[in-house]
Amino acid sequence: MTNIDEAMLIAWVDGELDEVTRRRVNRAVADDPALAARLEMHRRLRHRLSDHYAPIVSEPVPSAMEAPLRESAKVVTMPQPGGSRWRNWGMSGAIAASLLLGVAVGQWTNRADGPVLVRDGAMLAGGQLKSALDTQLASAQDGASIRIGLSFRRKEGGWCRSFDGDVVAGVACREGEGWRIQQLLPGGDERAAYRQAASGDPRIMATVDALIAGDPADARQEAAARAGGWR
Amino acid sequence: MSFESDLLAILPRLRRFAASLSRDRADGDDLCQAAVEKALRARDQWQAGTRLDNWMYRIMRNLWIDEGRSRQRAARTFAPEEAGEHVGHAGDRDVEAHMMLGDVDRAMNALPDEQREAIALVLVEGLSYKEAADVLGIPMGTLTSRLVRGRGALLELLGEAA
Repeated sequence: MTNIDEAMLIAWVDGELDEVTRRRVNRAVADDPALAARLEMHRRLRHRLSDHYAPIVSEPVPSAMEAPLRESAKVVTMPQPGGSRWRNWGMSGAIAASLLLGVAVGQWTNRADGPVLVRDGAMLAGGQLKSALDTQLASAQDGASIRIGLSFRRKEGGWCRSFDGDVVAGVACREGEGWRIQQLLPGGDERAAYRQAASGDPRIMATVDALIAGDPADARQEAAARAGGWR
Repeated sequence: MSFESDLLAILPRLRRFAASLSRDRADGDDLCQAAVEKALRARDQWQAGTRLDNWMYRIMRNLWIDEGRSRQRAARTFAPEEAGEHVGHAGDRDVEAHMMLGDVDRAMNALPDEQREAIALVLVEGLSYKEAADVLGIPMGTLTSRLVRGRGALLELLGEAA
């Protein structure tokens, strides 16, 4: 009989054990098939629960539920007369960028394997971009066509990652099983004249600064986040 | 990003949490709607820079607890045989939503409230123990013992106990 109790097995499954205890459980499980079966049973239960409810996140939200928020947003975010020039400058920049991108995005969104999909009025990562965001670690990506810049947690919770590819660059945040694009810029090739490191683009850095809570993830935290499905 | 757009962005997750707490999807959506309305009224109480999702989980969970008190009163009032008839009088939407319940929904419904909310936050929403304990306003030790008991009950109910 080992001194591994049920709460410890459960904490293992929930990713709540410190490294030392985790190793202790791993050793005990390796030596004890009955314990291994209990651990597997708890792991399966967690998956069954999260898989069962996961599809709700990708369903369109009923419009009656969004309506009070859209109404309230209209009232609160009315532009103020004589607002700061910075704000106006930023706004026209954003509009220009979105016009430019609109043309390019329009071409991709019809293709299921393109980097950007439009669903329910939101831009989501697709194809290679989605798989890079899902699986690629910033610390190991030699030769990858899309490079991950920073992985970080945002203020309202959840993971975000900056990316830079041949076609598109920007920032995406995890939502449900997908990645919602927060910012989209032309990728490396089209900025060839002033090409710089992926995460070094000042526009991307500004977005990261606005979203980030604390510090960006280090290699270990990034690997742990990937292992946890970026939840 | 405004309060509203941040809230819109997390709405799908809030809807999932509401569904995992509630008897069925229709009740879940009612709960989620009520939580959104409550959040708009109470927005001054939210501190910018803190986690909006955890604040929303807390609002929703408190609404659900309040509702639960009247739910339990209703459960005592209706005898089981009358409950069948009662379902017959509900709107089509409720009947449909109730018929679509799967094994997991039924098992979650059978859990005591304090185990169900702990399971929903940690296993479904993926919160850390610390975050979940914080949302529920309970010590970590209490949370972990509810997770152990809730899981034991779910394994029994789902026929997966080893």
